[in-house]
Amino acid sequence: MLKYTIKRTLWMIPTLLGVLIILFSLTYLMPGDPASAMLGPRATPELVAELNQRLHLDKAMPVRLGYYLLGVVKGDLGTSVWSGHKVSSLIAQALPHTVLLAITSLGIAAFIGILLGAFSALRRDSPIGGAVTIISLLGVAVPDFVAALLLMLLFCIQIPILPALGAGAEGDLVDVAVHLILPATALGIGWVGYLSRLMRESMLDVLDSDYIRTARAFAVPRDIITYRYALKNAVIPCITVIGLGVGKLLGGAVFVEIIFSRPGLGKLIVDAVYARDFPMVQGGILVATILFVFANLLADISYAFVDPRIQYG
Amino acid sequence: MEMQTANQKEAGMAPVQLTLKRKWSDTLRVTLRAVVKVKGGLWGGIFVGLMLLCAIGAQWISPSDPDAQDIAHRFAGPSFTHFLGTDYLGRDILSRIIYGCRIAIIVSFGAVTLSSIVGVFLGVISGYNEGKKLDYFIIWLFDIVRSFPQIILALAIVAVLGPSLFNVVVALAFTAFPFYGRVARAQTLSVKEADYVKAAEAMGQKRFRIILKHITPNILAPVIVCLGMDMATMIIWESGLSFLGLGVRPPTASWGIMLRNGYKYIQTSPLMILWPAVAITMAMIAFSLFSEGLRVALDPKERER
Repeated sequence: MLKYTIKRTLWMIPTLLGVLIILFSLTYLMPGDPASAMLGPRATPELVAELNQRLHLDKAMPVRLGYYLLGVVKGDLGTSVWSGHKVSSLIAQALPHTVLLAITSLGIAAFIGILLGAFSALRRDSPIGGAVTIISLLGVAVPDFVAALLLMLLFCIQIPILPALGAGAEGDLVDVAVHLILPATALGIGWVGYLSRLMRESMLDVLDSDYIRTARAFAVPRDIITYRYALKNAVIPCITVIGLGVGKLLGGAVFVEIIFSRPGLGKLIVDAVYARDFPMVQGGILVATILFVFANLLADISYAFVDPRIQYG
Repeated sequence: MEMQTANQKEAGMAPVQLTLKRKWSDTLRVTLRAVVKVKGGLWGGIFVGLMLLCAIGAQWISPSDPDAQDIAHRFAGPSFTHFLGTDYLGRDILSRIIYGCRIAIIVSFGAVTLSSIVGVFLGVISGYNEGKKLDYFIIWLFDIVRSFPQIILALAIVAVLGPSLFNVVVALAFTAFPFYGRVARAQTLSVKEADYVKAAEAMGQKRFRIILKHITPNILAPVIVCLGMDMATMIIWESGLSFLGLGVRPPTASWGIMLRNGYKYIQTSPLMILWPAVAITMAMIAFSLFSEGLRVALDPKERER
């Protein structure tokens, strides 16, 4: 178990190195001269030369890669070409908004999804099972940005009861919470569908298993069977999926943040893409990727802890 | 086998062909029949068929030119001339939805095909060389690409290459190939232990031939199931990228671009958002049902249930 954890953690080092190399080479793939592409119409020879020197663009590729890796290790992600601020401080400002959004929507999704799935499995032959299937199908079928647009259309314009734009005034908890409702729902809807379906399947499997039948034969009270024996084991598959889901949530956050114009990481990345601000794009994607990698690591390890039946070599 | 044919000749019987060779069309027919039998598979199949029909025959099906502007009737609601109304330039929304089908199918099919070919190729090689340096290298490659949140990586690639139909396909394919690779690798690990592969190895067949003739055809079923599910995802991402202005170029009718325009006029004309949203959702439902049917149809364990 410990060996697996160590192995799994160490494997992250070469992977993250590869991620850095890909992010670095993305600027190389950019057609034309990166400096004038970033500066756009503002480019004068002096400005281009200055930028080239500042970003080490005038050096050979391995040297540039070295500079880049060194900078990242020191926590220096460069300077935004557009605003002149440090990329790391811009990200530090944006990140809490995205993390809050992701955690809220994941929480909503996990709570409703697991509840719905378990409930429909317990009443498998009633119409509730069918209803859950339909809800989950719809939930999976409506992509997060479509859900965001439809929710905005419904609750901000047709029935204007919720704010459409921004993240709310800082420090004002009620305002922040109110601004969080629609984005978090939009982001979580797909996961409600997915988790409820997964939960239903795994709960059905568990309820059909031998140890539950034995417990029934010994006349263990139904509630104890359901909540203490079955639910605990049935939740296990959902845990890994939630880990993987963080990547999807971060991706979905891009759209939701753009639509509700929340100042988060996703909006930061997309705005930087529009402005051709490559240090900013690189830094933003790097942070999103690191978050995703760590979430996966946590999910994998916790999965192994929760389910002792799994053996890792 | 030779003995048998010799015996049969002696007995005056026609030689019986013992090799099992099914035609592709037969396989397709049998599979489709099984898909349709699955609950919901029929509806999925019908909708997917409709989408393909729209994609192929857009110019005959759509009531008017998707780019024709009827300035006098901008933001019009549904009417007999424009069944779903018109957008901010007076273009017929129904026609644009139908043409958008074509973009959705082209991008998703292109991306899925490209990524599955690359992924399966790498996955089979990696699985067949299990434990060797090449295997570790390919796994490393898969893990790097899988570390990125998919849509964010696609966004970055399109940002670098510039928005265009082809670049969107390449970007989406690049984000998805490790998933096929891992499925193919896992399958290869079990298939390569099979007796017929061992027999081919004992006969001294070339590794390339073993991979191509004996392993690849036998790992394809789960890959095809992934293809079906991925088509739906790719349709979403195409419209997502187009929505951000990083997908197909604007005059082209794409569901994502329609949503983008609808977002600008969200306060005045809700229908401009509603219709493309319905189209994307229907496409998702169709491909989910169809791929679910495909999964059950191709999984011998499920078939018994």
